[in-house]
Amino acid sequence: MRGFPHTVYHRAMIILSSTSGSPADISSGPAEDYSYANLTGSSEFDFVGIAPIRSERQVLKTYFSSVAVLEQWELSQNYQELGEALNEMAALEGADEWRIEPSVYHAASYVAAKLREDSVPAPQIFTHGPESVVFNWSDDNNDNLYLTISANEISALISSPERITQRIDYSASQFLNPSHLLPFAHLGRPIILISRSDTDLPELIE
Amino acid sequence: MGCGRIPDGDSLFRPVIHPVSFHKKTFAFWKFIYLRPGSDDSLRGSLLWGRFVPTIKHVHKRGCEMARQRNEKERAQGTFKEKNRSVYCGAYELKADAVRALVSAVNSDKVSSADVIHLIEDGEIAHTELRIFLKPGPHVEGTKTEIVASLWNSFSGPLAHRCDCDSDINPHPSGDLPLPPAGEYSDERSHLYLLWCLIRFQICYWFWRIFGQNTSEHS
Repeated sequence: MRGFPHTVYHRAMIILSSTSGSPADISSGPAEDYSYANLTGSSEFDFVGIAPIRSERQVLKTYFSSVAVLEQWELSQNYQELGEALNEMAALEGADEWRIEPSVYHAASYVAAKLREDSVPAPQIFTHGPESVVFNWSDDNNDNLYLTISANEISALISSPERITQRIDYSASQFLNPSHLLPFAHLGRPIILISRSDTDLPELIE
Repeated sequence: MGCGRIPDGDSLFRPVIHPVSFHKKTFAFWKFIYLRPGSDDSLRGSLLWGRFVPTIKHVHKRGCEMARQRNEKERAQGTFKEKNRSVYCGAYELKADAVRALVSAVNSDKVSSADVIHLIEDGEIAHTELRIFLKPGPHVEGTKTEIVASLWNSFSGPLAHRCDCDSDINPHPSGDLPLPPAGEYSDERSHLYLLWCLIRFQICYWFWRIFGQNTSEHS
């Protein structure tokens, strides 16, 4: 099995705890009302140098061209839809192309729960057949992260438009160990649910 | 009749049919590429060899015919529903060497062979079969994802099209075809070479009509 990836990517995400208000509302309130999670870091960036000398605002403004903004209820709703999709796939019978094995359903549900717990945006989902489910995130640059989940294995795959850039295979024991599960959930760049361009950031964080 | 090995630089086309290549109302590349399991543990897919669809007009003609045949088949089976009728939306192109490169692609040490074989099927002279053999071992499902992602990265297009028989559909799903990672399709053949391709196609097609109709497979 390959070692842990040497390249990891930055991703910022703001999660709003309020249950009302549109994304536009966030610009009207003080930045202190929001918490953000730096989901991933990159060795390609000067990750170490960020924290000691710059405020969170500066980090956001300087290093992230877009920030995924989503509310808790939206995240919950997305994962609820994901769960319903998995339920439906597990309930299918015969040669239906969307059918998945019960063992795959349980594994995928477990991973989805861990991702939700860690506030990772909900993935898109597809299959190759009954023996696996694929969770997929893509960004505006056509970079993709795929998690292929079968009953006892998980493969993480990062793809740029030019090539496959990284693949990591996990065995069953690693898959069941949360300390191994969480890092690869943060690989790549999760799909941007609501994004703001760099020019919008001052309005958001200043 | 044999037209030889499919050269590395030859174009292969994959028609897009709505709704089978779509998820809900969005084009889904993983449904578009869909690799079916073969009886010999291989993964298989279908493409059209550019030698037998020498121009984009030929590609679209075959695509419209494929959608029509799917609808006819469903009518014959009594499963046809107008709202779910098959609609040809266009095609994407990739080169034969992109398929063969799967064997040596990054992290693809789990692919033992990958090739495209000219295999006439159901009277479709351009039909070409994609055959991928995986090495036995763990993480086969992850390898399938890698193959699908690698193939999608190699497609260019889209060559969007609306068949005459689908003029009543508005909006037409061909408008939803995304630009693939490899960018737009560009036919870089010279006029002279294109003329040669047309002549070669006509000769091959004529030979096949006269001598090869009963032969289901050649390469």
